[in-house]
Amino acid sequence: MADIASTLSQLAGGLRFTLGIFFLTLLFSIPLGLLVARGRMSKNKIVSGIIRVYISIMRGTPLMLQLLLVYFGPYYIFAVKLSDLDVGPFKYRFVATIIGFSLNYAAYFAEIFRGGIQSMPVGQYEASQILGFTRMQTYFRIILPQVVKRVLPSVTNEVITLVKDTSLAQVLAVTEMFTTAKNLASAQVSVMPFIVAGVFYYVMNGVIEIVMNRAEKSMSYYS
Amino acid sequence: MNVLEMKNIHKSFDDLEVLKGIDLEVKKGEVVGIIGPSGGGKSTLLRCATTLERIDKGNISIAGETLVKTSNSGLTQYTDKKTMQQIRGRFGLVFQNFNLFPHFSVRRNITEALIHVHKKSREEADSICDDLLKKLGMEDKADAYPCNLSGGQQQRVSIARALAVNPDILFFDEPTSALDPELTSGILKVIRELAEEHMTMVIVTHEMVFARDVADKLVFMDGGVIVEQGKDIISNPQKERTREFLAGY
Ligand SMILES: Nc1ncnc2c1ncn2[C@@H]1O[C@H](COP(=O)(O)OP(=O)(O)OP(=O)(O)O)[C@@H](O)[C@H]1O
Ligand SMILES: [Mg+2]
Repeated sequence: MADIASTLSQLAGGLRFTLGIFFLTLLFSIPLGLLVARGRMSKNKIVSGIIRVYISIMRGTPLMLQLLLVYFGPYYIFAVKLSDLDVGPFKYRFVATIIGFSLNYAAYFAEIFRGGIQSMPVGQYEASQILGFTRMQTYFRIILPQVVKRVLPSVTNEVITLVKDTSLAQVLAVTEMFTTAKNLASAQVSVMPFIVAGVFYYVMNGVIEIVMNRAEKSMSYYS
Repeated sequence: MNVLEMKNIHKSFDDLEVLKGIDLEVKKGEVVGIIGPSGGGKSTLLRCATTLERIDKGNISIAGETLVKTSNSGLTQYTDKKTMQQIRGRFGLVFQNFNLFPHFSVRRNITEALIHVHKKSREEADSICDDLLKKLGMEDKADAYPCNLSGGQQQRVSIARALAVNPDILFFDEPTSALDPELTSGILKVIRELAEEHMTMVIVTHEMVFARDVADKLVFMDGGVIVEQGKDIISNPQKERTREFLAGY
């Protein structure tokens, strides 16, 4: 029994990092994704071209590889000592994880947002223009709220994937929940830590589904 | 005084010249009906007058403000952003397919621009909204959403939205084309009432009887030019092309 208690408490310790990666990635990748989506739709061919390449690389290569590049890049390319890159109490390996995840998820979110924005009927822009709304007012009052409703199901999918992807941080030896489970499993010669970790992931995604369902319902008053 | 003046308007889409030198004047209180075959450039003309399209050549002024002019040297220049925004506050446009904001209630559709563009207080905006809804027989729908309204009701809301800012001129592009016949007559009645109140209006329509009755001046457009205009061109067309077109009705 002591085994289970200590397994749980150690996994909970890993869970902190898992949740940290999860929330920080959402915090940075969603606004970044909006910006990237705008860049992708830019009339400036150079901007949209660069963004297009960026999205294609982020979606076309493994996230694990990207994490390694973000982590080791500064050392191999600029010969920077990695411990110099620590941010306050956070080791650079954690910071690099957040950067890597955010850059990667921003690309996915950007494509979702772009789809949502481009599906908006041109009449919404025209009606706004005639009424005298500025471009900012049109974007934030008229377009974005409707886009949110349109993209919510796809965003939910991404968010659920993100929960599971957090386990990839193990390549940078971030002691998130999966790494912890792996270590416990080999120490105890048991699959029990994996099963407990699996339950944690599953419950997290259950909560996400409930929250996103609520959000969808709250916007179902119009179609 | 002319509320709308358009002179020698030229507009092309790529190689296709859609407006080939249009002159149109609309006096205060006048109702102008624009008729003509599909593809003749009616919508394009309205879209140019309402800043949704940019013209290549010509002069447009609305409510005494110059929107765009072509100088003697041939340079076509639009006014600055700020004046443009002011001009947009002076007219309204009613679309064929309404273009209401689906995520806003009827009330918010009508008051949003009043509050955030025209800087009216919420109370003032609400009272304007209530008056308009009452006038249009929609007072019980203030809290409804567009998706729960019939086409005719949606078009009433879009007319109310356009009227809310007390425009100097109101443009309609086939306001009944998306509606069933029964709903059409209701909207036409609303427009007739506005005409009786001497609202200045430019109406593109395929409803010939309505156009003949309501318009002080009719304009027949075909092939990017005004073929004929006047009070009686429906009852007494002078040009062969006009007769041919009217024979289809
Ligand atoms: N954005 C555009 N790009 C290219 N061509 C266009 C565009 N808008 C209109 N046109 C063309 O311009 C011509 C005039 O179109 P317009 O919509 O002004 O006609 P209309 O008189 O309103 O016809 P309808 O009665 O069918 O509404 C048509 O040949 C049309 O295909
Ligand atoms: Mg048209």
